[in-house]
This record gives sequence, structure tokens and C-alpha cells, in this order.
Amino acid sequence: MLRLVDISLKLGNFSLRNISFDVKRGEYVVLLGPTGTGKTVLLETIAGLYHPDSGNIYLKDLDVTRFPPETRHLGVVYQDYALFPHLTVHANIAFGLKLMGKTDRDVRNAVSKMAHFLDIDHILDRRPRLLSGGERQRVALARALILKPYMLLLDEPLSALDRLTRDRLRRELKRIHGEIGVSILHITHDLSEAFFLADRLIIMKDGAVIQEGNPEETLRHPGNRFVAELLGIENFIPAKIGPGGQVFLEGLGTSDPPLFSSEPGEKVKKIYLTIPGWAIDLFPAKDNGAYLSQVNMRVVGLNHTEAYMEIELEHERGARLSTTLSWREVTMLPTPIESGKIIKVGLLKEGTYWVPGD
Amino acid sequence: MIPFSGRKSFRFAFSGLGVILIILIAVPLLRMILSADPEVMRSTIADREVMASIFLTLRCALWATIACAILGIPLAYLLARWNFPGKSLVQGLVDIPVMIPHTAAGIALLMVYGRNFFLGKTLNEIGLDFVGTETGISLAMAYVSLPFLVNAAKDGFLAIDPKLERVARTLGASPWQAFFRVSIPLAWRSILSGSIMMWARGISEFGAVIILAYHPMTAPILIWERFQAYGLKYAKPVAVLLILLCLLIFALLRWLAEPKKET
Repeated sequence: MLRLVDISLKLGNFSLRNISFDVKRGEYVVLLGPTGTGKTVLLETIAGLYHPDSGNIYLKDLDVTRFPPETRHLGVVYQDYALFPHLTVHANIAFGLKLMGKTDRDVRNAVSKMAHFLDIDHILDRRPRLLSGGERQRVALARALILKPYMLLLDEPLSALDRLTRDRLRRELKRIHGEIGVSILHITHDLSEAFFLADRLIIMKDGAVIQEGNPEETLRHPGNRFVAELLGIENFIPAKIGPGGQVFLEGLGTSDPPLFSSEPGEKVKKIYLTIPGWAIDLFPAKDNGAYLSQVNMRVVGLNHTEAYMEIELEHERGARLSTTLSWREVTMLPTPIESGKIIKVGLLKEGTYWVPGD
Repeated sequence: MIPFSGRKSFRFAFSGLGVILIILIAVPLLRMILSADPEVMRSTIADREVMASIFLTLRCALWATIACAILGIPLAYLLARWNFPGKSLVQGLVDIPVMIPHTAAGIALLMVYGRNFFLGKTLNEIGLDFVGTETGISLAMAYVSLPFLVNAAKDGFLAIDPKLERVARTLGASPWQAFFRVSIPLAWRSILSGSIMMWARGISEFGAVIILAYHPMTAPILIWERFQAYGLKYAKPVAVLLILLCLLIFALLRWLAEPKKET
């Protein structure tokens, strides 16, 4: 559907560097990256609002690199939705159809059908100013979808919403994608949003794509520490690789040389072990080979939120780990956890991976 | 009512200073209007020369405003949206006419559009004469008052989120359609109020106009001439009439440009 080949663009403080990726028909691709990394500029470049300095953009195998935005047939939804404040919701949704010269009757029919699909029938006469964030987002989606675009480009479409609305609307996005089957490129800095929605993840940093793949695979095998951190992994244990390929964990005492599904190359001497929170087992069962290592660690911090408890652990040699337990899991612990207590901790092989050290 | 919290002394001082200024503005106007003799006013309205001159003034200022709207709104849009080398120079140039003495502006205009310069001479040959004509009056008015329109329109465009125009483009609008269906409808209040300011400024223009065209006589020049030739008594009724007419028109236009409350 969409193919970017080696796109570069310098625009004020932002620059895009040699970006290549594609979005297949009907695919939901999420572009994940920290704020200020040029994601919006990339999206606007795809939409035709900027022309790249070099590289090519193909839409349905047609080179549209130099096409103006109005000929590209892409739907854009911005973070703040950019609804036309001088028009009613109905006129906002009808904007594109009117430009195409559709008759009033066709426009009315199409708008009411779309409004019904997105459950906004009751607000068609209102002005955008008077709408809630969730309603605005539906209107912006309706305005784009009504033109049956080749693709939807969503720029942080959920970031401006409160949490409840956000959770509802991301399910709604999934439903829309499922029912209409439109290809979607969705940019966000929100990890759970990305995992919730993405068929495929593309990770961007400083104007360049640094990793892409399906979400589970990416989470399991982050290419470097930046990606791992972006994916929410908090635990990095420095390790050295010995001449025989053994791994020595610093700060966590001795350990059997673990085997990885993909070995660090010969040249990599220093790595970080990445340990997602869920791979940290408190009060582990007897070692049956599932563990990379079992160590004693001191509880140095307990933080509570409404849904879970965060536990910070420290090894006597200095390594620090953190993990979270749901309240349900907390009640099921064999002995209660208190700050200062030393407990046994198992690091599951499953989930533990390595990234190259800097 | 705007909620106003704070020390009484603060409120008192600010209100006091504000009131002084309001008095300074209002008293001369009120004194002039109230002292007008109804009989003299009636005869002034019946005075053909006076009415002709007032309508001439309104008309010339209107033409100046329309011409500047056509040329100035695109410039205002450029200044609001695009960065280009020399932009601040262009911006400065637009502001110059309000800075310089208007008689000086009139002389500068005369030097270009008078018959001693090739431009004035060429335009004269194709039938456009600026000295002592309505065209000349409009030109003088336009020159000294265009910053009001351009700057107001520019502020209007600046207040529009550029994303609105971009979204319009992705919905199939050409740059022209995006401009006329999104930018103009969102900026029209600013453009209208800038136009009103420019028109008002044009009507009151004296210095630049008198140098380019003493005749036909605009109202400000007529007032000045009557004051010179016959004294205050004869200048006053014309001035009162002009002020009343202007107040009426501007009140009406202001009301039009005012955002209406939505129900």
C-alpha cells in the first residue's frame, strides 16, 4: 500500500534520515518513538505536506513523492483533531465530499451513514468547540474515513484524552480497523497503545528507524538499550563475555553461563542483560532449569499505585531490579514483603535477553 | 462581569487613570456635538458642497480599502505563513507609512505620481491622473492607512492553526480552496475590523491628501478651509456632521464584526 524508500528531510530542528519501511494493505502499523523525534514530520511528509529532500514515496506502487497532498487520497487525524471551528460537525465531515462536487443528497446520506457507524449522529449540528475530546476524535475520523482513503495516518490520536476515553477509543480504533480494513499508520509515544493496536511496530529515534517487527518479537529481542527502554524494560544488568562465550554478570554474583537463542557475536565484549519485570520471580520454585539464576536480594523500595505494587530490589553486589505485582499477586505471596527484607529472586530464562553495551 | 480580586487601592488607581483617559477622549466630542445649533446643522446638511465632500471622502476611502484588501490580504497571508529572506524588511516597510509625517508621505507620492516622474507621466498618458483627482485622493488615503489592514489580516491568519489548512489539503482541497474555505472564513473578522480601521483612517486623512489633491475637496480639507476662511463657527457644523456620520457607520460595522454568542 505504502512504501517509503530512503526518505531524508531536513526541516528546522527536525531531520529525517534514510527512512524506509512499508505498510501492507489492511495492516495496522504503529510508529513508536519518543516525542520530538520527527514522527509528525514524517507523517506530514507521507501526506504530502512536505516534500522530502531525497527518497521516494510509493502509494499503491505509484511514485507520489512530488504529488500535492490533495491528490494522495490519505486521511490524516491530528492529535488535537484540527476540526474546522467555523463549521458544524456535519459540515466538517462533509468537507471533502463537497469539494468533490457531490450533490447535497449524496453528501447527507454519506454523512449520516458515517455518523451512525461512529455513533455521532446526535452531535451533527454542533460546533467542534462544544464537543468532548472523544467526540472530536470520532468526528476527525469520520471526516477522513468518509472519503474512503487508501490509508489513515494517525498522529498521536489518543494522547489528548483522559484515560477512560483513551481506553475506550483504542478499542474503537481496533473495531474500525477490523470492520473497514483500512491500512493504518499510527504514530505514538505510548507503549501500551502501540502494543494494543499494532500488527507491526516501527521504532524511531532521532529521525531514523532503528527497529521494526511484530510487537512480541520486538519486545523479546530489542536491538539495543534504547529500544528496550522504550519498550518499558527497566532492568539492565551489565555483563561481560568471557573468551569461552561465558557471560559474567556484574553486580549479581556468579552465574552459570547462560545460553541465548541468538549469541552475541565474537566482537561484542560487553552486553546488558535485559530482564522484563514479569521475568522476575519472587520466591521461586526449586530450580528446574527455567531460571537463569536464583539470587538473594534485599527489598529496598515498595511503591503503591491503584492497580499494582512496585517492588525495588538490590543485590549485595550492587545490581538493582524492579518488578510489579498486581494486588491479587500480592495477596498470593507466601510471606508478606516488607522493605529491608532479603528474599529469594529467580530470573526466568524466558524473557531475559541481551542487548549490546554502549 | 470580570471577576476582579485584589487590593482596593490597586483597583482604585487603575480605574482612576482609565477614567481620566476616557474623559480626555469623550469631552471634546461631546462638547462639539452638544453645542451644535440644530438650525445651523439643518442648513449644513442642505449645503450641497458639504454633502458632496463628505460622500467623496467616504467613497475615496472605500476604494482605497477595497484596493488594499485585494493587494494586502495575500501579502498578510504570506507574512503570517511563510518565512522568506528579507521578511522583517518587508514587515518594516509595511509599517513605515504610519510612522512618517503624512505631509511628507504626500510629497513622496507627488514625486512619484506627479507628472515630473516617468511613472506618473506614463500613467497620466494612459488616463490615470493622480494630481487633483479622486484617484489621487484614494492613493494618498491608501498609502498612509494600509498598515492597519495588512497587520490586522496578518494577525487574523496567525491566529489560525496551520494544521487546519493542512487537514483541508489532505481532504482534497487545493491551496486556493483551503485558503477560501478555511483561512478566509476563520480570519474574516480580523480582516473586516482591519478594513474598518483602514477606512476610518482613510476618511480622516488630511496631510497626504491635501498635497496630492486640494480639489476635489475631502471633508477634512473642507473643514480646514472653512476654519481658515470663515472661522470656527462655519467649520464646526461640517465637523460635527462628519463625526456623527462616521460614528454611525463604525458602530454598525463593529457590530457586524463582533462575534455573536452561540445559542
